Amino acid sequence: MKGIVFVKFNEFIEELWGDDFWDTLLNEAELPSEGIYTSVGTYDDQELFTLIQLVVEKKGISSKDAQFAFGKWVFKELYNVAPAGAHDFKDVFEFLHAVQNFIHVEVKKLNPDALLPEFEFLSETANTLSFNYLSPRKLCFFCEGIVHGLAEHTGQQVTVSQPECEHEGDSRCVLEVVKI
Amino acid sequence: MTLSKEELEKRVAVLERKAEREKKARNLAENQLEKYSLDIYEANQSLKSALASATQKQSELAFLAQTSSNVASEVSLGEMISNIVALTGTLCSACCGAYITSEHGKEVKGKSADVWHLDVSWQANDEFRKAIHSTLPIAESKVLDTWAILDLGANCVEKHTEFTSLFYTNFALSGEKIGWLVFLTKTKVFEPELLSVLNTSREHVLSGIRRRLTDVRILKRNVQLQDSLNKLEKARRQLIQSEKMASLGQLAAGVAHEINNPIAFIRSNMEVLNDYLADFKLFHKELKSTLDKNETLDAALFESISQSMDLTYIEEDSKDILQSNLEGLERVKGIVDNLKGFSHAGDETLVEMSLDACISAALKIAGNLFKYEHKIDNKMSNACPKILGNLGQLQQVFVNLFVNAAQAMETAGQLTIDYSENEKRVVIHIKDTGCGMDEETLKQLFTPFFTTKPVGEGTGLGLSVSYAILEAHGAEVVVDSELNVGTTFNLSFAIAEQ
Repeated sequence: MKGIVFVKFNEFIEELWGDDFWDTLLNEAELPSEGIYTSVGTYDDQELFTLIQLVVEKKGISSKDAQFAFGKWVFKELYNVAPAGAHDFKDVFEFLHAVQNFIHVEVKKLNPDALLPEFEFLSETANTLSFNYLSPRKLCFFCEGIVHGLAEHTGQQVTVSQPECEHEGDSRCVLEVVKI
Repeated sequence: MTLSKEELEKRVAVLERKAEREKKARNLAENQLEKYSLDIYEANQSLKSALASATQKQSELAFLAQTSSNVASEVSLGEMISNIVALTGTLCSACCGAYITSEHGKEVKGKSADVWHLDVSWQANDEFRKAIHSTLPIAESKVLDTWAILDLGANCVEKHTEFTSLFYTNFALSGEKIGWLVFLTKTKVFEPELLSVLNTSREHVLSGIRRRLTDVRILKRNVQLQDSLNKLEKARRQLIQSEKMASLGQLAAGVAHEINNPIAFIRSNMEVLNDYLADFKLFHKELKSTLDKNETLDAALFESISQSMDLTYIEEDSKDILQSNLEGLERVKGIVDNLKGFSHAGDETLVEMSLDACISAALKIAGNLFKYEHKIDNKMSNACPKILGNLGQLQQVFVNLFVNAAQAMETAGQLTIDYSENEKRVVIHIKDTGCGMDEETLKQLFTPFFTTKPVGEGTGLGLSVSYAILEAHGAEVVVDSELNVGTTFNLSFAIAEQ
């Protein structure tokens, strides 16, 4: 996973619970990278999962909520470092369509080896968009959070639900975004 | 907010670890950046070499394209080779280059001894020539199937010390000749890709040379063929003339008879005239003696002598006899004129002519073959449209057809000559009531040397020669024949445009 995610997760944790807590997490996690993250590096996915698991244990929240919260928080952070063209979208659905055709293309230019999730759009009406979230990392809740962060950015009200989810025993994750 | 010493120490430790991580992270990031820089540099380098190789490829492709178009063009062999020398020399950045030919291990002096130069184009260069002679294995006469490099060594061309190699190829030309392409170069070894390009171009050039040599052979063969054609044409004309003379031979007896008749009656007339002349001499003598005796001549006496000798009749008859002789001689002259016209070889030009006159002349020559039991019905008239033709040749055709008709109607019969016309063509119908022909004979009617006549009577060439003449006139021939009923030849000619 790209280093930017780890760097932002570090910032997120420190913002919520301070650098002491982050220090404690690293002490206990015994990560191969020793928590020395740079946004230009690439790190093992497992390190993020280990850190999230520790947060879950220490703060008594669910993994789903942790992922969701981080996703919602990180959107604006990623948005700020995204290439200029990514700033032209004013609508949640429009942006989601552009993720694959534009934003991921830009990401690939800088990080040819980046492993990116794919969206397979299933149906769309004026207010409802549903798509299949495809990623071996299975971070569908993180994705839900990001969609919320996006809606916050565009100033739209949305609900995000998962009619199908691999964590619930389904064969795939389907996200349904409804504008309120 | 005050912290206890313990808390402070703990806080400091956290911050120290944080600072340590930040420091290490910065190092990591800097290393990563250096790696990126290196990657970019290497990518640049590989792009540069890819560009260089693409440029090289492009020039090689341009070279091959130019070679191909040069080979495929219609330029002469010499010009093509000169262009190839310039193209190849330029591609290989050679100092100079030349094309030479050898035969039996020795150079054959060409039209020009000029050498191609990269900078100044074609001009003499004795030094390079000397280097070629002392280095190239011309004497071996071994034909290569690729390019080879030879080190000039001691034979190095002095002016160009950096150019120390000759690279060359050769190929078999017609006969024992070998063509050599030679270049002076710095190259000691060929790049495999360049060699492959040079070999491809070599194949192209070979095919171009072969094509041009074949063209020359075809040209020679064409000249030979044209020559044969001319001979054949001459033979054909001779054949037509020979056939004509042969048919004249067949007609000779009849013609002789035709000439003999008037000559016979002219001769007998001359005898009568001779008698009449004697009578006049006698009359003259009588008159003279009477005049001498009486010294006068009275009318009664003159009248009585004149009557006793029947002079009035003699005078009248002489006039008739002379007239008849003149007519007889005219007939002989006519026959001889026709024969002369017929036997004359003439040229083969087609001019506007009358079929009516042509057929009349032919009838005059062949007419004597028809006897009193034969009837000739010539329905041709002045109104028959003119055609473009050769009078002598068509006369030969008609004579031939009339002779055949006469021979087909041995004892008696009728020859009818008629014509019909449509918009663009006039058709002559020559119909006899003779023995006719069976299918076998009809099939071979125009085959040379096919004849139904006994040995000595026909050449078997008459109709085949006639057919050749008609073909040259663009005439169409249709033959209708029924055994024991008769034969009709229908000859259709294009009407001459007015």
